[in-house]
Order: sequence, then structure tokens, then C-alpha cells
Amino acid sequence: MRKIISLAIVALILVSCSDNLTDLNKNPKSAQVVEGQTLFSNALKNMTNTMNSTSVNLNVFKLYAQYWNETTYLDEANYDLTGRAIPDNFWGSVYRDVLKDLDESAKLIAADGALTADIKANQLAIIEVWTVYSYSQLVVIFGDIPYSEALDFSNTTPKYDDALTIYKDLLVRLNAATTSMKTGADSFADADILFGGDVSKWKKFANSLKLRMGLILADVDAALAKSTIEANYAGAITSNADNALFMYLDSPPNTNPLWVDLVQSGRQDYVGANTFIDALNAVSDPRRAAYFEEVTAGGYVGGVYGLQSPYNANSHVGDAMHQPDFPGNLFDAAEYHFILAEASARGFNVGGTAAGHYTAGITASMEFWGVAAADIATYLAQPSVDYATATGTYKQKIGYQKWFASYLKGLEAWTDWRRLDFPTLNVPPAANTPTPVRFTYPVREQNLNKAQYDAASTAVGGDVVTTKLFFDKF
Amino acid sequence: MVKKLLTLSLFCVLMLPLSVFAQGANVRGKITDGSTGELLPGANVVLSEVSLGASSDIDGNYEIKNVPSGSYSLEVSFVGYKKYSASVTVGSVDVVIDITLIPDFLGLEEVYVTAYGIEKTKNELSYAAQKVDGNEIAQAATGNFMNVLSGRVAGVDIKQGNSMGGSTNIVIRGYKSLTGNNQALFVVDGVPFDNSNTNGGGQQTGRGGYDYGSAAADINPEDIASINVLKGPAASALYGSRAANGVVVITTKKGKKGQAIGVTVNSGLQVGMIDKSTFIDYQNEYGAGYGPYYSGGDHPGLEEFDLDGDGTDDLVVPTYEDGSYGEKFDKSLMVYQWDAFDPASPNYGKKTPWVAPDNGADTFFETATTWNNSVFIDGGSTKGFFKLGYNNVRENGILPGSELTKNLVNFSANYEITKELTASASVNLSKIEGKGRYGTGYDDKNLMTTFRQWHQTNVDFKDQKDAYFRNKLNATWNWNDNGTIGAMPDPIFWDNPYFTRYENFQNDNRDRYFSNISVNYKPLSWLSITGRIALDSYDEFQEERQAVGSVTVANYNRYNRSYREFNYDLLVNMNKKISDDLSISGLIGTNIRRTKTTSIFASTNGGLVIPRLYSIANSLNQVNAPTEFEGEVGVDGYFAQAAANFKNFLVLDMTIRQDQSSTLPDGENTFYYPSISGGFVFSELLGTSGFLDYGKIRVNYAEVGNSAPIYSILDDYTKPTPFGSVPLFSVPGTKNNPILKPETTKSFEGGLEATFLKGMIGFDVTYYQSSTIDQIIPVSITTATGYNSKYINAGEVQNKGFEVSVFTKPIATKDFIWNLDFNWSKNTNEVISLADGIDNLQIASLQGGVSINAALGEAFGTIRGSNFTFDDNGNKIVGSNGFYVRTSTSNEIIGDMNPDWIGSISNRFQFKSLTASFLIDIRSGGDIFSLDQYYGQGTGLYKNTIGLNDLGNPKRNSLADGGGVILPGVLADGTPNTKRVAADRYSGPYGWARNPAAAFVYDGSYVKLREVTLGYSIPASMLKNVKALNGIDITLVGRNLWIIDKNLPDADPEEQFSSGNISGYQGGAYPTARTFALNVKLKF
Repeated sequence: MRKIISLAIVALILVSCSDNLTDLNKNPKSAQVVEGQTLFSNALKNMTNTMNSTSVNLNVFKLYAQYWNETTYLDEANYDLTGRAIPDNFWGSVYRDVLKDLDESAKLIAADGALTADIKANQLAIIEVWTVYSYSQLVVIFGDIPYSEALDFSNTTPKYDDALTIYKDLLVRLNAATTSMKTGADSFADADILFGGDVSKWKKFANSLKLRMGLILADVDAALAKSTIEANYAGAITSNADNALFMYLDSPPNTNPLWVDLVQSGRQDYVGANTFIDALNAVSDPRRAAYFEEVTAGGYVGGVYGLQSPYNANSHVGDAMHQPDFPGNLFDAAEYHFILAEASARGFNVGGTAAGHYTAGITASMEFWGVAAADIATYLAQPSVDYATATGTYKQKIGYQKWFASYLKGLEAWTDWRRLDFPTLNVPPAANTPTPVRFTYPVREQNLNKAQYDAASTAVGGDVVTTKLFFDKF
Repeated sequence: MVKKLLTLSLFCVLMLPLSVFAQGANVRGKITDGSTGELLPGANVVLSEVSLGASSDIDGNYEIKNVPSGSYSLEVSFVGYKKYSASVTVGSVDVVIDITLIPDFLGLEEVYVTAYGIEKTKNELSYAAQKVDGNEIAQAATGNFMNVLSGRVAGVDIKQGNSMGGSTNIVIRGYKSLTGNNQALFVVDGVPFDNSNTNGGGQQTGRGGYDYGSAAADINPEDIASINVLKGPAASALYGSRAANGVVVITTKKGKKGQAIGVTVNSGLQVGMIDKSTFIDYQNEYGAGYGPYYSGGDHPGLEEFDLDGDGTDDLVVPTYEDGSYGEKFDKSLMVYQWDAFDPASPNYGKKTPWVAPDNGADTFFETATTWNNSVFIDGGSTKGFFKLGYNNVRENGILPGSELTKNLVNFSANYEITKELTASASVNLSKIEGKGRYGTGYDDKNLMTTFRQWHQTNVDFKDQKDAYFRNKLNATWNWNDNGTIGAMPDPIFWDNPYFTRYENFQNDNRDRYFSNISVNYKPLSWLSITGRIALDSYDEFQEERQAVGSVTVANYNRYNRSYREFNYDLLVNMNKKISDDLSISGLIGTNIRRTKTTSIFASTNGGLVIPRLYSIANSLNQVNAPTEFEGEVGVDGYFAQAAANFKNFLVLDMTIRQDQSSTLPDGENTFYYPSISGGFVFSELLGTSGFLDYGKIRVNYAEVGNSAPIYSILDDYTKPTPFGSVPLFSVPGTKNNPILKPETTKSFEGGLEATFLKGMIGFDVTYYQSSTIDQIIPVSITTATGYNSKYINAGEVQNKGFEVSVFTKPIATKDFIWNLDFNWSKNTNEVISLADGIDNLQIASLQGGVSINAALGEAFGTIRGSNFTFDDNGNKIVGSNGFYVRTSTSNEIIGDMNPDWIGSISNRFQFKSLTASFLIDIRSGGDIFSLDQYYGQGTGLYKNTIGLNDLGNPKRNSLADGGGVILPGVLADGTPNTKRVAADRYSGPYGWARNPAAAFVYDGSYVKLREVTLGYSIPASMLKNVKALNGIDITLVGRNLWIIDKNLPDADPEEQFSSGNISGYQGGAYPTARTFALNVKLKF
């Protein structure tokens, strides 16, 4: 009897545990359904972080623009791109952490039946603006990139599209997005962690982006540059009150990434570069006090770009940048005025004069950094600053002053240098290469998308850092 | 569940004494060795019909008491001897039967335990299986039995890290799965024993963390009776989806029926000291700094400014640097060093001579000690038997503040309820507690990162020790500021090493129950039915700390993980002799498995409020949501096996298993694993004449498979920390796949075994070939798709190779036996195909710009990175700047992590009661990229960064002063390089800044004297006067005593971060400890 009972117990247990196996595939701890807006918020934060970062693994443009120098470990200042796979990281962070979330966000929002038509249109238009912004940064860094076939997991070998073609398409998309915006209606509300859902601010940002992108086309398609800038300059960010600033929070992980690398890390990796500080010193630029700290002996000293620059002997990055909630600057009035100054100099009809916009650009920047009006006036009065008397062509004048004003916007400054060939950057003596004029493609692309990579390398003129991109004609 | 088990086992224990002995006569006698005439203690004598038995004592006497009248068959078994059986009739008077046992030098009666506990003799085995005896494991006296397998089984590649309690990598016959698990399955007494490690992905790829060890280390080495390694799928196919990587079958010790209570007490002490050939040998001529550029004066390697305000400039160490390209040591130079800034130091505000330290980093290591104590009790009655074991291990490692404690309890009992029905149960409890485990990888908590890569050679470690213990503050050598003598500055890159050990420590524990109950019903002599419920259950808790005042943000984090695996087995065994010539056996069974893992990880955010208070609530900023995981995997398996044995020389064995796995999509989740194998003992036909004793050919084919990792079918979203009150979601980096199917390994194996000259020499050769197809891979895809990777079925990896074991007995006399054995294996691994359009699969991307890959047409585990460039004659090309020209890409193949072959030579000598042995482990090939050399040469720590150049001047002199070196190579035009480059700074000819990754790839070959043992069993005759004592064994064991040969400088090529698929890479490597152990075993 006992044996029968024992066997029966075993058999019972065996039967009782044959549950439905397939149900075990559903992860009880993660979401399968989310609101599309949350992915947009994430894309906003990730892209802004990428642009503001000074991580040697990700964003080296403050070095490439020679605003800063590295103190001891000089690999990045000397243009080593592969040691830390910087192109891979930048490319991946934009495609995967920004563009994919935007793509998914748009799909979910488009399918959301609970939204009113106006709100839905606004949300989709804003997503479109941020998508264009993100792509436009990739294009000016790499040149040809996957675009028409990107963001599709079923195509693991997306072709690279021609950079100029992408750029023109981005402008088309941007125009369509601004056209479809309904400024009277709401959009994302709080989920928009850049503008709080204010559609008119997004419209200004989009128009500003058109100006920036238009100017980048100036040497390659002057007509399109002209028409784009002329059509949109009136609706852009024109005063500091409108600046596109991303307001970081004061606790991790939502702080400005600068704080992470400059403060939280406890490291002393960066000081001002002599290229930048020498130029500021030459005109006694009053923004120095905000941009940097004086050295113990007094004055502002930049480390020789590309050479060891002991932390104690050189100017540290200014105090404001050491605050966790230091805002991330995406577009400001100074940039607007410098764009118009250059547009004027190129003969575009944007109202005012090159000199006027040049002066307005300097003024807007100085006001933004808290320089007193009297100091601004003194500064502008210098013959070396005054547009009429400053040295060189418009490219040189604007090249220098826009560089001064674009501080921390490393990518924009590096792109302006590539377009204008000013300021004159130093050639680090121990560098692996001359100052790059583009990023090489990610190593992952060489391994994972080889045929398309090879085609693109040929198309751009060789996958090296010295290949000039489509907009870089001089 | 656990309660149930405990109750049942308790019940079994209570039953034992209840069994009543029947009255009757005794059966007794003497047992001797037929060849030597020696008396044999420990032989097992059983009257099979009544399950009465006894073991022979030290004088070879046995006595079975109270045998009821009747006729019986008396059976004697003893390891190494042929079975003996005789008929005996018992009446009212004692029966005396003296027995002579014949040695079984061919091992024909030795039992091999195969899948699901099926026992087979040598003749019946038709696939490769190799056995390690429990005595060998116990004798090696290491806390982790897995390490003892190294060199003892051909075809098994074992790598062990040097960190205390670290994990052991066990790969049998090569890496098969591109991204899945390649570790062998562990089975204890028929029940799978989880051997996962909980090391994080970051830890495994060298980004910092701790090696929490392999869970199989919870097995008590003293409790192991034998280990059988089933290498190929044919041997393991019955285990289905877990069998692809081979199985390590562990049989634990059992009591015996009718055996008196035996008690064994074992006590051992092991000490370990670092092997200096595996640690960095610093240059001792230059101190802190990165080059001669700190001051413009006569001492450019030091800073020169008026620190003390006396109006003259002082020499000050650049304390904020972590390299050693600084000023040449000169005892006449008085310099402000790190201790001048430590207010508690006697040298506070004082200059001290600029000299190399008396106490270098090697003095940081302590003598490791391991106390290992165990008690083992076993015994039996006529109705059952039991065993009870307890093992306590307490280890202090080579690093200060490290401690690992293991407490293991094993209990098992077996009771015959009726003649047909037997119940048994076993409970294993273990408690592992670690504290101060070694940090691994590139991390401030891995001190090897600083010792080997980023260091100031002027630092005296005794001074650092004193500085920490004076006030328990972070008085580091690496201040961020040397500008003023005042309050204590902050650390910049590295903490005081003692602060790291005593403040930034971790602790962990793992409590485990591994238990099963089973009932065996044997209604007929040829049929038995077993039902078994087994639970492998453990809970882990890990706490990690970063103290306030450390280089990195103060932090506390905790991780709780629970693992529960239930196995329900129903096995029907048949074993029938059809005729004298033919017997058949069969098995039908089912295995229902449910494995559930839950975990939660919580961490403080942004710092700690109160120093040394380690709780989540002490977080400086609001705490981010903890990370939770919950997952259950289920597999329902049904299997059958049939074997036929014709005249004991022709054997045919077939198995089939069907699995239904929860991790695969509906419709694709049921799959089959067939195997067929045959053995032909040709020596049975040839007769015993001639020099051939034994010969067998075996051939087999099998298919086994693997199902998908959990949660690789359905998509979900990841949830980053909200931005303030705004929730964030994100598309995960891996795209899942709803149409996955199982991956399959198809394997063929053939083998030849032979023994000659009465066991003097024998060999076992196996050839195998396996292909693993339809691999389930989260294949890396271009991130332009928006994903890092996507799950697909693709790819094929082929492994083929030879395993050769040679057994010899060069001397075998009555008093002296010498066994000399060789194991050798060579595995060739090739990636045959990958996903469409992909010719390389990146397994891991590692610091130093290198990656581990599976490249089409190459072995799994190619190392890629930047390479030198070469001219047509193979010369390295040097650029016009005097440095090597690197390839523009960093995906050049610069190494292969797989060894060419591995082998071992084992010697065992027995002279009466004295035994001695030594084991030599050999590994040939297998490349290693050394991050330690990559950075450490660049920071000027290693000896190759000093010395004289071709002009006879110190390399580190300035170029103007005749220093610098000319790198051997040619210019692009083919002419020899003649440019001399400065070697006085970090961006010089050594280290990472100017060299490709290929410059730091080393051959990982080694020849090691792995183990030396000397054992003495005090002869029984000497113990006669000691009451109750049956034997004393004294053993001396030395492990890792001598690396006879290696090519990797300053480190042990075997050192690794963690078990797993990533090998061929070292960074922050721990030195190897030479250990010596003394063990005393008392048997009562």
C-alpha cells in the first residue's frame, strides 16, 4: 500500500507542474506597452547629453575646437579616434539612443487614438524637428550616413545616402514640420523637457536650425542657402530670452554631463587651451572670467594644445560649468546674429548689415555670459574687434568672434572652422594626424556593414579624417 | 518544499536504529591480495539476498554477524580488484571463508557513472568518459574541487583566476556556442547542480567588479566519491538541452549497508605566498611623473616652486600623476613627497630624500592561510545506510582584509522500506561568506590596476600602511593638489591601497540547499522505477561599498538574488539478461524542470550623507529605482534509452529525448535529441595471449541542443531613471525575435582504447567532431538600425580534435609502484558561418582598443585590434616621426585566445605506505592581450623602460644628452630606421600612446608544476595500540609551486577575470600564490 501511495505522490507532483510553458516568456518586470511621449522625452535628454558631454569616449569637440586641452592623457587632443572607439560611441548614441526612440515615439503617437488631431500633429512635428536636428549633427561629422534605410532592424546592411542629398531632405522635412505646427494648440506639455510643450518655441528652434543648416550649405548650394535663410530668419531665436537651453537638474543622473566629468569624477583632465585663451587674451575678452578661472599667479593661461599641461599651471574651466544644473545650450541669439552676419557678408538679404549682426552677436553672447554693458562697449570699441577695422576677410572676423561666442558648443565651432578656415588652430606636435575635418566611420561599421561601408568610404573620398566633407569647399 | 525534505530525511535517520537484528551465525574470514599476498582492509563483503554486509578491518578481517540460516551468495567488491562471489550456506555455527581478490589491472570492473546515474563498466562504455577518483580530490586539499580537475582529464580546458574564491572556467572540447553558455553541466548524484556565476557583464569584460566565484564550488570536496567527465554529446544526450557542453557527473560518498559507524576527521592548513614571477618587477631608478616638463630647472621631472614660503624654490613631487617617468632617484635631492601633505605624518611639511622605496608593492601581499576541517560519519544497518559530513573552510587571501568562509553539511540516507521499496534522501546545506574579495578589472578597487598600470615607483608601502592606520583616512600617495602644505588634499586617481582594502570592501553570502528525495520501487529483478524530487535552491546577498573620501563617488549597493530549480524525475529502468550471450537494458523517463531566478539591485545615488553608514537610506541624492529581475524557465523532457550487450564485446546504445522549452516560441519549442553509439571489444575475440590485454573501438553520433536565453522572444521597453517627475522609456538595445528555434549540436566521435603487457601501458585515443548550428545569437548589427543587436538563428561553429590519454606503469614491484600518465588534447575550432552578410561577430569590446571575436573562417576567440604595418619582407614600418606606423583600423586580427593544445604529465609513486606524486600542466599557445603592459610600459613602471640604449647611455636621458632609442624597423622606402626618439616621457616608444594593440599581445603558453603531494599512511601495525583508530593519513601538498616556463612577462597566463566566453585578455592581473598544505586525516 505504502509503495502505491509514494508513487501516487510522485505522479501527482509531476502532473501538477505541467503549466503553460509559453506564458513564462512574458517578463513580469518590464513594460510591453508604454506611452509614446516617454520615448520622446528620453530622446531629448540623450541627444542633449551627447552634445554637452565632454567624455573622452564620446564628445571630443571641445578639444577639436581647441577651447580646452587635456592635462596629462593626451590621446584625444592628439586626435586618436580609435583607442576609445569615439566614432562608434557617438554614432551609436545618436542612432540607438535618440533616433530609434524618436522613431518608436512617432509610431506610437501616430497610432494613439486618444489624442486630438492638433496635439497629435504638434507632437509629430516636434519629433520631426528633433529627428532632423539629430541627423544633421551626424551628417556634419561623418558625411554620408545610413538614412533612407536606417532604423530598420530587418535591414542590417543599410546603405549610406549621399550627405548633401540627406541634408536637403532634412531641410524639406523641417519645413514640412514647421508648416504643420499649430501654435495655438498644446503638444507634449511636461513630457517636453526642453520647451515645456510650447509649440511656438519649437517653431523658433526649427527655424533657427534651418538657418544653421542653410549656412552650412552656403559654399555648396548658395541658392538653397540663400532662400532657406532669407525665408526663415524672421521666425528664429533672436534674443537671449528665446535661447534653446536644456535645463538640467541638480541630482544624478539628470545633471549636465559636464559636471559628471569635471566635478563628480574628482579628476583634473581639462584646462583651457592656449589656442583659445591666447586669442581671448589678445583682445582682453571680458568673457574670460566666466569661461575660465585665473591661475594662482593671476591671469589666464592656456595649456599648449596637444602637450601635457599641468592642472595647477593652467586656467581651469569656469565655475558655472562646475554646477550640476548648468544649462545645455543648443542654440542662442549670438549664433543667430553671427549666422545673419555671415549671410549678409555673403550677400543674402536678411535685413541689417554684416557689421550690425556681428556687433549684435558679440553683444548677445556677452550679455548671456553676464558681461556688464560698459565692458561690452569697451570691448567693441577695440579696433581689433570692430568689424570695420578687425583683421581679415569676413570669414576671419566672424570666424574668430563666432568661435569666442560658441564656447562649449564644440561641434558647431569645429564645423565653423571647417567652413571658414578660421580661427587658425594649432597643430599639436605629437598628433597622429592633422586636425580632423571629419570623423572616420565606426569600426563596427567596418565589421558589420562592410559592403556599404566600403561604398560610402569611396563615395566620400576615403574614410580618413582628412577627407573634406560636402560643405567644406575651401 | 525544504521543510518537506528535512522532515523526510529526519524520518530516515530515526528509522535506522529501529531495525532489528535477527539472530543467527556469523560469517567471517580474511581477505588478501592475490598478487602480493597483502592483507586488504576496506573491502566490502555482502550477502546479497539479505542485504547484510561488512567491511574488512585493517588486518583484512571481516565478520558479518547474525546471519539467519540459509544459502546465500557472498559477494566481495573492492576498488581495483575483480569482483569475487561464492555460495555460502549458513547454519547454526560460524562460517569461515577466506577470500583472495585478484587485481583488476585493466579496470574492467570499474564503474563509470553516466547520464541519469546509469552505471556502466569499461566494456559497456561506447563513448569517451574519464574518471577522477575522490581520493585524488581530497588529497589535493584545495577548497575548490574544480581546480583539481585541471590536467587530470584530457579535453577539458580549465582556467582559474587568482582572486580569492574566484570562478573556474570549464570548457570541454572547445567553445561551441557563440554567445551562449559554454560551461560544462554539473550533476550531483543525478541532479543538476547550478554552476552559474553572478559576475556582471562589466566585470566579465574587465570594467571593474568582483569575481563572486562559481556556484559549483559549494560542493564539499571531501564528500566526492568520484567524478566522471562525459565529454561528448553522445554521453550526455539524455540530459537534453543542457548537455551540449559536456557533463561533470559527481557521485558523492554513500554509507554502506551493514557497515559499522565510521568516523573520519580531516584537518588541514594551507599557506600561500605570491610567486614573484607573476608580479610586476618595477624599474627602480626613476620616480613619479610623466616626463621632464614640470620645471625649467635642473630637475625637470619634479615641480620647482616655493612651497614653504621661505623665498627659495623647493622640489615637489607631482603627486597628482600616476606614472613613473619622473626624476631619477638621487638621495642627495631633498623633495616634498606625498607624506609632506599628510598632516598626521611625521614627515608633514618636511622634505625627504628622493630614493626608491624599501618596501615595494610586493610587500603589500600577505601570507594566505586556509584552514580546512572536516568530519565525515557513515554507517549502515541491514536496512539502510547514511552519511553525514561537515566541512569548514576558512580562507584568508593574499590581500589584507580578505576572508572567505565555507560551511558545508551533507547528509544522505537510504532506507529499505520493504524488499522492493527503498526511500532515500539527501540534504546538502552550504553557507559561503566572503568579505574583502579582490576587485577585478580596470577599477580603483582592483589594486593591481594601480600596481601594474598607474603607479609612482617612489611610494613606500609601509609608509602608506602607517599613514592609513594612523587615522583611517585616505592618506594617498596620489593627491590632486601639491600646491600648499595645509589641510589634507583630496585623492585624484588612486586611493591609499590600505584604505581601498579596509574601507571600500564588499561582503557577500550564499546560502544553499541542495536536496532531493527519491523512492525506488523494484517489483521485479530486472525492473526498477524511481521517482525523485530535487531542489537546488540558493539565496545570494552581495554588498559593495565606496567610502566617503574615496577617489570615486561614495556609494553603497546591494544585490539580492534567489535561485530555485526544481527537478521532478520519473525513471523506469530495465535490465534483462535474455540469454547467456545477450543482455539488454533500457530506461524510460521524464524530467520536468522549473528554474526561477529573482533578483533586486539597489544603489545609493550621488554619494553618502554619513561616512561609514552603509544603507540605501544614507544616499546623498534621491535614490533611483532598484533594478528587479524575475524569470522562470521551464523544460519538460521525456527520454528513453536502450542498450544491448552481446557477449560483453559488442555494445549498442541508443537514446532519444524530447524537450519542450519555455524560452522558445509556441510551435518551435519542442525538439528531439537522438544518439547512437556502439562499442566493439576486439580483444575478446583475439584472446588473452600476446602482448595485447585489452582493445576496444567505439563510435557514436549524437545531436543535442540548446534553447534560447530567457526573454529573447518578446519585445519590451527599458525604463531609465525619470527626468525629475517626467517618466522616460527607451527601446532596448537588443531586438528580440518571435521566430527563434533551438540551436543544435551534431557530434561524431570515434575512439580506440588498448592496454598492453598486463597493464604496463595503455592508451585511449578519441577523435571527435562537432558542429553547432542554428545558433541563437544576439548578433551585433549596425547601430544605424537603432539596435546594437538582434536575436537570430544563424551561424555554425565546428570543433574537432583529438584526446589522448596514455597510462603507463614503468615500475610495478611488490613494494614500489610508479604510475606515469599523460593527457593530451588538441581542439580546433572554426567559425563556419555567421548570419547573412556578417563576417565577424564581436563577443566583447575591451579596454585597450581590442575586441574578442568570432570571425568567419577563424577560431572562436580571435583578438582584434590595431596592428603594426609591415613591408613585403615582414619588417615593421616606422614613420618619419620614428615611431611605428599603426594600421588605420583597429579590427586587424592580432591573436587567438585558443590554445594549440593542452596536456599534462602525472607521476605517482607508491612505496609501501608512502605515496608521492607530481603533476605538470602544459598549455601551448593561446594569445593574451595584456592591458597591464599596454598601460604599465606607457607609465614607465616596467624594467624595459629603463636601461641603456645602443649608444651605451641611459635611454631616459634627454635626446640632447644621448638618450632615446631607435625602434627596429624600416621606413616606408625600405631603408632601416635611424631616427632616435625620446624615451623620457609617457608618449615615447613604450606603452599605449605610440604602439598598436598588437605590441601587447603575448603567447599564453605555460608549463607549470601544478601539484606535488607526499602522503604517508601510518601502517595499521603501528596503530594497534591506539584504541578505535583505524588509520592516520598525513599529506603534504604543494600547488602552483613553479611556473617552469611562460612567455607572458610579470603575470600568470592563466589569470582571468571570470569564467565565461571571454578569454585572451588580462588587465589588473593578480599574482599567483604558491601554496603548501599539510593535512592530517584520522579514521575511526
